Amino acid sequence: MNYPADLKYSKSHEWVKMDGDVAVIGISDFAQDSLGDVVFINLPQEGDTVSAGEAFGDVESVKAVSDLVCPVSGTVREVNEELLDAPEKLNSDPYGAWIIKVEGITGQEELLDAAEYEAVCAVAED
Amino acid sequence: MSDLKRTQLYDLHVLSGASMVDFGGWEMPIQYPAGIVAEHLYTRHACSLFDVSHMGRLLIKGAERVPFLQHVLTSNVMALDLNQAQYCIIPDENGCAVDDAYLYRFEEDQFLLVVNAANTEKDLVHLTKIVSRYDCTITDITKDYASIAVQGPKSREILAVLSGGEAVTEPMKNALNTLQMEGRTVRVAKTGYTGEPLGYEVFVASEDAQWLWNRLIELGARPAGLGARDTLRLEAGLPLYGHEMGVDPDGVPMPIFAVSLARFAVSFSEQKGNYIGREPLERQYAAFKKIMSRDFSDMSVLPRRIQPITLVDRGVMRGGMPVYRGDEMIGWVTSGTMVPYYRHEGEGLATKILDDTAKRAIGLAYLSSDVLEDDVVEVDIRGKRLKAVIPPYHMRVDAPPFARPILYKPAEQEADADTGSRAAKALDLIQMASENHQWRQTCCINLIPSENSASRAVQLLCASDPAFRYAEHKKIKSFYDQDVFYYQGTRFIDRVEQMLVEQMKQYLGCCEVETRVISGQMSNMAVFSSLMDWKNRLDRKHTPKRLGYVLNNHIIKGGHLSAQPMGALHDYIAVDPVTERSAVVNFPVCKDNIYKIDVEETKKVLEKYRPELIIFGKSMVLHREPVAAIRQFVNEQHIPTTIMYDMAHVLGLVGDHFQKPFEEGADIVTGSTHKTFFGPQRGVIGVNYKKSDLEYGLWETIETRAFPGSVSNHHLGTQLGLLMAAYEMNTFKDEYQRAVVENAKHFAKCLKAQGLDVAGDPANDYTETHQVIVSVGYGTGPEVADRLEQNNIIVNYQATPDEEGFTASGALRMGVSEMTRFGFGKEDFGKLAELMADCILRAKDVSGDVEKLRAGHTTMRYCFNDEKMQEALEGFLGQLGL
Repeated sequence: MNYPADLKYSKSHEWVKMDGDVAVIGISDFAQDSLGDVVFINLPQEGDTVSAGEAFGDVESVKAVSDLVCPVSGTVREVNEELLDAPEKLNSDPYGAWIIKVEGITGQEELLDAAEYEAVCAVAED
Repeated sequence: MSDLKRTQLYDLHVLSGASMVDFGGWEMPIQYPAGIVAEHLYTRHACSLFDVSHMGRLLIKGAERVPFLQHVLTSNVMALDLNQAQYCIIPDENGCAVDDAYLYRFEEDQFLLVVNAANTEKDLVHLTKIVSRYDCTITDITKDYASIAVQGPKSREILAVLSGGEAVTEPMKNALNTLQMEGRTVRVAKTGYTGEPLGYEVFVASEDAQWLWNRLIELGARPAGLGARDTLRLEAGLPLYGHEMGVDPDGVPMPIFAVSLARFAVSFSEQKGNYIGREPLERQYAAFKKIMSRDFSDMSVLPRRIQPITLVDRGVMRGGMPVYRGDEMIGWVTSGTMVPYYRHEGEGLATKILDDTAKRAIGLAYLSSDVLEDDVVEVDIRGKRLKAVIPPYHMRVDAPPFARPILYKPAEQEADADTGSRAAKALDLIQMASENHQWRQTCCINLIPSENSASRAVQLLCASDPAFRYAEHKKIKSFYDQDVFYYQGTRFIDRVEQMLVEQMKQYLGCCEVETRVISGQMSNMAVFSSLMDWKNRLDRKHTPKRLGYVLNNHIIKGGHLSAQPMGALHDYIAVDPVTERSAVVNFPVCKDNIYKIDVEETKKVLEKYRPELIIFGKSMVLHREPVAAIRQFVNEQHIPTTIMYDMAHVLGLVGDHFQKPFEEGADIVTGSTHKTFFGPQRGVIGVNYKKSDLEYGLWETIETRAFPGSVSNHHLGTQLGLLMAAYEMNTFKDEYQRAVVENAKHFAKCLKAQGLDVAGDPANDYTETHQVIVSVGYGTGPEVADRLEQNNIIVNYQATPDEEGFTASGALRMGVSEMTRFGFGKEDFGKLAELMADCILRAKDVSGDVEKLRAGHTTMRYCFNDEKMQEALEGFLGQLGL
């Protein structure tokens, strides 16, 4: 299981990376492993408002639907349209396959560093 | 999680890293590390293993096992022969399902009922309450056996490694077999829940479970979990209890006939008496028939039915989502998800399955019964209405060895009518016909066993005047059975027909011959019609009884399609009320030579069924038919029967070098006059009943079922040509037949020496007929036959007796008669074998060599080609003005 040190993580298993003022957001290796094969993704539109702690879309695996919870509040600047036709990239490359980029950040959830997040995951597995 | 039950394979799943879940009280693998999508695809592409040991296995034994099962199941248990299985449903008093199940008959005196794991306890409670009324026991043997499903196009070859090459089961669905695999007893069923055309469920003793699982993985199968099991069965359109059966999302019980498989699982045979749920099921069936005829006036008994559904907009459907038609809520999705598939390119037999994959959002839905195929509906997915359509099905399996995903396509617009000049098209046609004739007659080596070319004399006669005329005639008893012709201008053809009958009587060695039939199938239909008419001759006041039982060669074992219910036998064969199937039984074949009838086993079948008609004859034929042995046996056993030999292919081999059917005891012989026989394309019927025999009346019936029963115009041109062909046969048959059989044996041996896999018995040089059969690899027949055609060698691909169907064909079927007629000898067939091996095994282009070989053989033998005849034919041709 991968926990890259240069990212921040939410308790709901999303990762965040700051690229200047823009937050790049995806799901963690732990998340994709729990989901199993991702077969579908519902993405927001560019310009949509997102709020920290609220769903900004969902991913569907073969068996179930899971909300994507936004770690920050702001405005969607860009969505990764590649994922519409190839959602399986979230499984094969969770840290390369970003989902949305958010600008105009007005707030965020409590974010964990890699070590803290790994500890959260260890507890979740028991 | 420790209260959950574990199968015999639990440890292996955990070791493989499977994610385990609670399924119906069992701790089962939902997926392995590969993931559901990969597991699904590997099943469709190669072979997957599923641990299904959690399913309930119940053994039913006892003197009244049949009445008990007839009472508690919807199916007709008496339709199950030994080594067969059937899908069935356990009904409740209201015609709804307690569970769906599969019934297996591995042994003569007991039945195995396999039920869903989640319902095993409930089913046992239900069945135990009833079994106490019968002299019968149910034993739960779930713990004693493990069950592994082995599914996918490679499943057959993988299991065959373990069986040491022995065929694992007969190729048809629901066939069972008990055999040894590496020293252990194994019960195999050709059944499954993935929809794969090649797929098996294997039952082994618990102590052998891990051995089997591990061996199958060693041989290339991969484990798949319950997640993939669900996506596979969904794509196949198979119901899952709790979703497509049971209760709907409102908690209302679903009628059994809501599921389309009910048509096969539910029987109303008299033998089932007043079984549980019979009355409501009969009402449901009546409602179902109305709905199938698009009569929606009263859908109260069957308001909703399960249909496949495909999402058109972007999204994923899930069970429980409501479905709308306009504002009207018409039902729910019962199962849905994203299902992966392999893309394909090309069309028809040339379709190629690619490595590239895609996904589609499909499902099954419980919808108002007036919803039709191609209807567009809307699915409510978490508050949004998305467009969906009703396809006929998601997948088809009539082209084994692969299951084919069927992607929904709306009906195509009809192309605009072609309005080019017909005069130009007529010229084109002449050009094309000329090219085709040239190609087939001078460049190709024609090895299709049912084909031949006719002599110049025969062809010219066929094209001459009687070809445009009629000559209907009938015997009139007032005139001492003299034929009376209805039309004028028929004196010539009257003489011709009489001479033809005379020649055919001499050729076949029989008393009477009918020549008006114009094909082999028509000959057979006229005979079947006559037998049925004759059977009912003393009672014309009731609907005639059909024929049954009939003993024939099954088409899979090389029997001609004519003798099957799908062919000429279609409207003449009775349905056995006990089994609710056609009253047909098949010749058993030898275990060590599937091309040969097993006479001793046939005798047992004859004793059991006492068939009123025995039909010998095959279209994939390497051996003589055992007519004499069977005639002797039915006489000794006093089995009243008619022995018919549809000689079809081998009509031209009647004689010392093959068989003399009437001498061996056949009553009726039919045949095609254009295969090994020299004629144009027609049929013929011969019988050996004398005027003093009771059955002479049957002969007279055959004459009337030929005319006016089957023809009005009996194609006088080719009848005239056939007389010339009969002269040729009677004159040259000894040399010709000897050459054909010798050439076939030699050709077979040469092909074998070139490294090809020749079917048949090496001890008699592989064949006793004109045919040679070569196996080129399961499923590769069509491609190899096509490649040979590119090289001007014309053969046909055919499924061998242990292959599922013609798209899975692994063999080539060839005949030497046409080329023998053009003068091919042993040396030529030797050279041909070399060229074929080069093409088949080494993919060489041999078209030039083939043309050269053919070019030396364009003069026809075994016909009258002396100077006098040649002169006469030249004159005739001039006269014909053609």
